[in-house]
Amino acid sequence: MVFTFVLPPELSAKEPPERRGIRRDQVRLLVIDRATGHIEHTRFDKIDKYLRPGDLLVFNSSRTLPASLRGCECSAAHGPCMEVRLAERLPDGSWLALLLCEQGDPFGCGLRAGMQIEFAEGLAATVLERDANIPRLWQLRFSISGTELVDLIYRLGKPIRYEYVSAPWDLDYYQTVYATEPGSAEMPSAGRAFTWKLLLDLKRRGIDSAYVVLHAGLSSYMDDELDRQHPASEEEYFVSRTTAGKINQARENGGRIAVGTTVVRALESAADSDGCVHEKQGYTRLTIDSQHRLKAVDGLLTGLHEPEASHPDRRGAFLSAGPRRPAYEEAVPRKYLQHECRDVNLIP
Amino acid sequence: MSKLDGKDILITGASQGLGREMALRFAREGARALSLVARHADKLNAVRDEVLKIAPKVDIVTIEADVSKSRDIERIVATTLAQFKGGLDVLVNNASTIGPSPMPYLLDYSVENFREVLDTNLIGPFLLIKNALPAMIERGGSIINVTSDAGQVGYPGWGAYGISKFGLEGMSQTWASELEESGVRVNWVDPGNMNTAMHRAAEPEEDPSEWANPADVTDVFIFLASDESKGVTGKRFQAQEDWRSELNHEGHEEHEAKKI
Repeated sequence: MVFTFVLPPELSAKEPPERRGIRRDQVRLLVIDRATGHIEHTRFDKIDKYLRPGDLLVFNSSRTLPASLRGCECSAAHGPCMEVRLAERLPDGSWLALLLCEQGDPFGCGLRAGMQIEFAEGLAATVLERDANIPRLWQLRFSISGTELVDLIYRLGKPIRYEYVSAPWDLDYYQTVYATEPGSAEMPSAGRAFTWKLLLDLKRRGIDSAYVVLHAGLSSYMDDELDRQHPASEEEYFVSRTTAGKINQARENGGRIAVGTTVVRALESAADSDGCVHEKQGYTRLTIDSQHRLKAVDGLLTGLHEPEASHPDRRGAFLSAGPRRPAYEEAVPRKYLQHECRDVNLIP
Repeated sequence: MSKLDGKDILITGASQGLGREMALRFAREGARALSLVARHADKLNAVRDEVLKIAPKVDIVTIEADVSKSRDIERIVATTLAQFKGGLDVLVNNASTIGPSPMPYLLDYSVENFREVLDTNLIGPFLLIKNALPAMIERGGSIINVTSDAGQVGYPGWGAYGISKFGLEGMSQTWASELEESGVRVNWVDPGNMNTAMHRAAEPEEDPSEWANPADVTDVFIFLASDESKGVTGKRFQAQEDWRSELNHEGHEEHEAKKI
């Protein structure tokens, strides 16, 4: 059973908590006990109360790219200019990207295969073809690749921002404190509330951390109809041998808590049918929903989302609609905030 | 086995002077990968070519950037970690500026110049550590901040530079204590008087032939970058003094204190 509800727009987090006068770990925490359905409302920096020595927190350490670039079609006549939102790097080094025309209809400025786009500092890209899976995305090949391209993306790009933010916040606000390898179009935001002090305090208490990388794609294709369909994007991920070992060990000693649904996706993709996680690198299209039987994860830290309006309802794999409904019904009048700088929900 | 086998290392201010010498020495000592950062691409590329002559297999990336700009810091770390596949073992905060030359008295310092020096010598290292730390904390690592005796003594005329180094030494102590159990060690090194372009600009009246060649002060950096210094954190080193004996002496004293 899928349950529906609407989070009012005023509950969008317009500013990062640090700009609301609190620390990033002082956002609110809604705890729903997976076994009993018991609900508690607390503050995120008290999360240790709900974790036990032996538990393992698994984070997605993918770093957010400044994935929004401005380019113009290169043609004899002055071509249209557009925002290029990088979505995903493909195995052959090309990229999938959402192209949004600056003037008029965002998709109406003659976007087509073969088009050449010029950016600043000599960067250029050729539009190859539409993506077969998500037709709002185009495959692009840049004029440079590898580290050189990463360097230029960081010189030219801005973080992808949506209309609900109150100011053009710097990229720094769109990073978790533990981010390492660049590659996500948007921040894997469930872990944004963690500070290093909290992580180190938890470690002293016997609650260890492990890291996977899953380069998160776009959360919206700026097309309501397409966004409602939740097309399963393909995302690049990496689970190291060290992380796989820690997770398999934690299975014996405590709970495996995924910090974010991107972590669930990576771990479930790297787990065999017995729930043993292996070192693995690749791309995943795995869908996590209420039909999915979890093998490698026991608990989840995530945000509050409208189940039918944004992501596929990955929380449904952890908790049926029954216990979630009253929790969400309590969260709305208490004004829990959503989106990337939001309050969070622990399902241990 | 070489001392720095398998190490992934980021050095700022790597295009000349001590930074250049560290790049060459680290490569000789077996570093797996080097990320060399400086403001001038041509000089950096020359250092890269020298490194590759010594160690053709070293994975090397050069990044033209200004550590006084926070946007550049994000790019330095992202580009380095893209090249190094997300890991980093050693960060050397070596880049610094003396500010206006000849160096004015504090009374004559403009606030703009004062801020520029602090942005490069203090805020830059702070942001680099903050951004690079996630890549070090899982595997352990070493942060080395390059300081000066002007960071301990208020010499007249060394104005913002000296103050920035006082700040860097204080910041290093705080990082070291906050990261004590993390596996990341933080130490700082005073290389002493060296015959570098920066020092010649700072003291144009002095005879630079009396100063050390930067190539001769790199031993302590090899020690701190290598696993030989595991467990050594929160310490100040003077590269031109007998730092190894002092370290052994301190270690002996700590051992004796524990016995008591």
